[in-house]
Amino acid sequence: MNILIAITAVGVLAMLSEILNFRRFLYPISLFVMLVALALTGMEWSHGVRYFNDMLYMDNYAVVFTGIMVVTTLLWFMMNENFLNGNPRQADFTAIISFALGGAMVMAGFSDLIMLFLGVEILSISMYVLAASNKSEPRSNEAGFKYFLMGAFASGFLLFGIALVYGATGSFNLREISEFVSENNTDMSAIFYGGVLMIAAGLAFKVAAAPFHFWAPDVYEGSPTPFTAFMSTVVKTAAFAAFLRLFSTCFSEVSTWWSPVLAIMSALSMLVGSIMALRQTSLKRLLAWSGVANAGYMLMAVVSLNEYSDTALVLYAAAYSIASIGIFTLVSNMTNAGNEEISSLHGFSKVNRFPALVITVLMFSIAGIPPLAGFFGKYAIFAGALKDGFVWLAVVAVLSSAISVFYYLKVVVAMFQPAGREAVQLEFNPGQSLVLGLVLVLVVVLGLVPALITTLI
Amino acid sequence: MSQYLFYILSLLTAFSAMMVVFSRKPVYSVLYMIFCFFTIAGHYILLNAQFLAAVHVIVYSGAIMVLFLYVIMMLNLNKESEPHKSNIAKTAAVVSGGLLLMVLVSVFKSADGLAINPAFDSQIGMVEVLGMVLYEKYLLPFEVSALLFLTAMIGATMLGKKEGGAQS
Amino acid sequence: MEQFIWLIPALPLLGFLINGIGNKSVPRGMSGLVASITVLGGFILSVVLFLQLLSDPNLVIQQKLFTWMATSTMEVDFGFMVDRLSVIMLLVITGVGFLIHVYSMGYMHEEPDYARYFAYLNLFVFFMLILVLGSGYLMMFVGWEGVGLCSYLLIGFWFKNNDYNAAASKAFIMNRIGDLGFLLGMFLMLQTFGSLSYDKVISGASTMSVGTPVLTAIALLLFVGAMGKSAQLPLYTWLPDAMAGPTPVSALIHAATMVTAGIYMVVRSNVIYVLAPFASEIVLIVGILTALLAAFVGLKQTDIKKVLAYSTVSQLGLMFVALGLGAYKTALFHVVTHAFFKALLFLCSGSVIHAMGGEQDMRKMGGLKKALPITHLTFLIGTLAITGIPPFAGFFSKDEIMASAFATNGWIFALVCFCALLTAIYMFRLYFLTFHGEFRGSQHQQEHLHESPASMTTPLIVLAILSTIGGFIGMPEIMHAPHLLSRFLKPVTAMAESYTSLHVTHTFEYILLVSSVSILAIVIWFSHRKYAVQKHVPAAPQELSGFQWVLHNKFFVDEFYDAIIVRPLRMVSSLGYRWIEQGFIDGIVNGFGTVATSLSAALRYLQSGAIGFYMIAMVISFIVVFFIQMFL
Repeated sequence: MNILIAITAVGVLAMLSEILNFRRFLYPISLFVMLVALALTGMEWSHGVRYFNDMLYMDNYAVVFTGIMVVTTLLWFMMNENFLNGNPRQADFTAIISFALGGAMVMAGFSDLIMLFLGVEILSISMYVLAASNKSEPRSNEAGFKYFLMGAFASGFLLFGIALVYGATGSFNLREISEFVSENNTDMSAIFYGGVLMIAAGLAFKVAAAPFHFWAPDVYEGSPTPFTAFMSTVVKTAAFAAFLRLFSTCFSEVSTWWSPVLAIMSALSMLVGSIMALRQTSLKRLLAWSGVANAGYMLMAVVSLNEYSDTALVLYAAAYSIASIGIFTLVSNMTNAGNEEISSLHGFSKVNRFPALVITVLMFSIAGIPPLAGFFGKYAIFAGALKDGFVWLAVVAVLSSAISVFYYLKVVVAMFQPAGREAVQLEFNPGQSLVLGLVLVLVVVLGLVPALITTLI
Repeated sequence: MSQYLFYILSLLTAFSAMMVVFSRKPVYSVLYMIFCFFTIAGHYILLNAQFLAAVHVIVYSGAIMVLFLYVIMMLNLNKESEPHKSNIAKTAAVVSGGLLLMVLVSVFKSADGLAINPAFDSQIGMVEVLGMVLYEKYLLPFEVSALLFLTAMIGATMLGKKEGGAQS
Repeated sequence: MEQFIWLIPALPLLGFLINGIGNKSVPRGMSGLVASITVLGGFILSVVLFLQLLSDPNLVIQQKLFTWMATSTMEVDFGFMVDRLSVIMLLVITGVGFLIHVYSMGYMHEEPDYARYFAYLNLFVFFMLILVLGSGYLMMFVGWEGVGLCSYLLIGFWFKNNDYNAAASKAFIMNRIGDLGFLLGMFLMLQTFGSLSYDKVISGASTMSVGTPVLTAIALLLFVGAMGKSAQLPLYTWLPDAMAGPTPVSALIHAATMVTAGIYMVVRSNVIYVLAPFASEIVLIVGILTALLAAFVGLKQTDIKKVLAYSTVSQLGLMFVALGLGAYKTALFHVVTHAFFKALLFLCSGSVIHAMGGEQDMRKMGGLKKALPITHLTFLIGTLAITGIPPFAGFFSKDEIMASAFATNGWIFALVCFCALLTAIYMFRLYFLTFHGEFRGSQHQQEHLHESPASMTTPLIVLAILSTIGGFIGMPEIMHAPHLLSRFLKPVTAMAESYTSLHVTHTFEYILLVSSVSILAIVIWFSHRKYAVQKHVPAAPQELSGFQWVLHNKFFVDEFYDAIIVRPLRMVSSLGYRWIEQGFIDGIVNGFGTVATSLSAALRYLQSGAIGFYMIAMVISFIVVFFIQMFL
């Protein structure tokens, strides 16, 4: 609970800084409070407190996911020092991002469907606004508008689904719902099943899983790069944390009923995402499509609901968020230089040796090459799917990750090619270099000893 | 008695909702929407939720719709200048909407056994009871929704204010 | 000794770190020396380990470093295991590896990126050692991927050349296809046995009965992995292309060590294969087909390294034949002798290329025996060894393969013999074309012909000696000498031997010995006449016709793959790109004019089309999902 207070305090302070004129201190304050929030997250671990009539249940699952998201946000702040400091809208951005993180935390720890809906909405509304925040850029407006319209539509599905589940089970509370389901799992009414499907569709939209992914590439590409980074890390992690939490606690009894359809969604996402990513020439759009593919992998953890699902998802989400933040450090510099094409990276490794090394390692990790964190995330998820008998899904996943190696490697190869005409000078400020260093350490350490994070749950 | 009322209200709700979509002029759409909200408020009263009905009328039919009308009139949008949509898009929309309706209806018409079947309680819709629920059991969601509104507010001002306005 | 096992891989890793991090600041002389010494250190430790194992027949050293992942039903450890099989591989890797490191110091002396080269080479040795030292399939997989990565880096070492990059990517991608099989095999093992460590898997498998479907599936999936790494049909085409890398790399990675990883894997899992006769048959068939196909293609190649590359593919095929027959020790024997003579042949070819100033085409060589006496002599030894002439190393191992083939199936025996015949033909063609006849290169090249420096010839001589006497570790019964290797490996393949017996009569062995030697003699005489006396030079590709043309173009396998796999994939991708991206999204963008001009334009665009489509798509997919779930 204290975490939520600390996180929202950043937002409130950001607004006060406009009034009381201490904008200069806002950036260090936000970094500091994020660190405090991280410490508070650590203190919450293994207590398993249920707050306010079981509205929020900070079990280890919630704590670990909150930890991942707080760390990612901290890294996000560090990488965006230049973007935030001196920006006339720094206070707005800081406030919205911190509120969004609050929403994300609620999504990881909800114990009541109302809290789930509120969390989803806080996060989504923040993202609609941030996607559209570059007012002079039509693509940004387009992204915000698109995201808003479609997101509102998906929220409708989600809300309708929640209402139906409430109608069928008589409760919003996860524990009560799961009790009800396990008592009556043979004769649940059609209303309940309809509700589950609608919730699944709504959440599938939020995680950008095919066939509800149409918004993702456009929105990712159109949004200002810092916010794309936030979307593909914190937002995705939060949405999956909520997805798995809801489906594993409430609907696991009827999993044979809904898992085939989620399996199809997962396979579709992986294939569509990786095939489309193959042909992209813009790094940002490539990452958007690879985000769709990665949503497919993470969805596998939900499909193959077993005792490892949560560890597998935690590992994958952590590896993916960390790697993405690092890669987006590069993308945001490319955006500043005005060229997001992969070919503009030619000659990059000559000038920026360390960033090139780190990005290479991150690409390898995200492509699932051992012994990096991403490999183990994939491994855990694939193994889980096999264990649950989804052999075909695992085959599709391995196939798609084989394709993905190709396009991730394309970026690496581009970086190590001699400079051409298009070569752009990219500069990494100290904060960004620090982010890259931290990310490198995390990816390697998590790859060597994934138990560091999997034993936390 | 209340059964007839329910049918009449439902008919009116469905009719006005459809008219919101079919009206060519935005002002008419908004007026139909206000009407639609009133009929929904009627449903609330039928369900013994008086407070909700009142709030619904005040907030939706009052504040929000007035704002809509205000914007439309101020920007003088009340023309039939809507860009022409292709027939394919229209057909596709109608077909998919119809299919969705069909699927949902066919699923739920056979549905039985709602878990909720509470005994009638005349006080359930009263402000006092509602307040007790809201400030005791659902205190946290109530507070967290403040976060939601704050976010929306900041977002709206940020998108609304002039570029670089904060610097002056 | 046991507590120092970690040093064996750690030493090359140290060398990698020194050369990799120091890069340009390490003095040139130093980096080669550091790299070689670390590998030599590994070799010495391996010898000590070998002696220790020799004294105790039941010793298997198990070391657990740490638990990688543990849950209630499965446990995956990171640890080392040294038994008699791995120690043989250790000796080959570090021993041959050391010689090739020394050779590289001479071969690469003009290379500006000297330190980077040795860093990669050391990293490769490190991963290869991890591969054979690991105590389970996961660790093997780590090494497996690592050597793949190093192979990629080293093939593309001269990354400024785009063809070389393409070759590197090809190797990497083909290997990934194989890895897919390996990975699935591992998942299946994890599911079946709950562990990936060798002892648990082996003991779990040995309780099952012959032909259990899950064992067959595991064996086949693992074999898919082996097909990729050991260049078997249909995944072999990367290996000839991989010759783009520096020649010592070809010798180390693409002849002596990495490509034999697949054989190591099968030998390691021999219990599984014994219990999966169907999978073994597949191994046998794939092996023999690869051996023949590659040998045919090798007949008409004119690039000296390509001939050797196809010969490697063919020899690997023979090893798989042995594996398929259940003669696991024989396969390993051939791995060892092949490591000696094929490394020798590659290094010799490197010496030739070095002398010719980078020329690899045999049609431009000839008569080099005067200018390069040591290279000539050692190459001849290598050729005699590979063709299987007694008493050189290749004879013993190949003889064993033939004998096991004869004991099983006459047809296989005939095909193996035919393959051996082809080997002799292309190898002596290579030998006579290169070293005999008249010099056919340019004037400039002739003036610069020189024997290589001592750092290069010394490894050649050592390897030549090994190729000569290496076969004595496994003498056939008729020679009344003990089969040392077979005796040494007994504990590893004990289980397999109880299932298959591959014994032939002594009379047959005599017949085989005499007939093979006499046929080989005819081949040598024929080749000598054709290439050395009559001075026949292979025709240029455009003059070839019929079967020769097909052979020269390697049966068009690359073109075939391109047509059935690469192009369709590209087509799907570009169709998606064209229709959905360009046709649909871009079409809308273009249709509504220049979006970027003004906000209003963007808004108009937003209100019509795209989002509508997105929404409809969402609703329709929802309906489909709903319909399937609720009514079907």
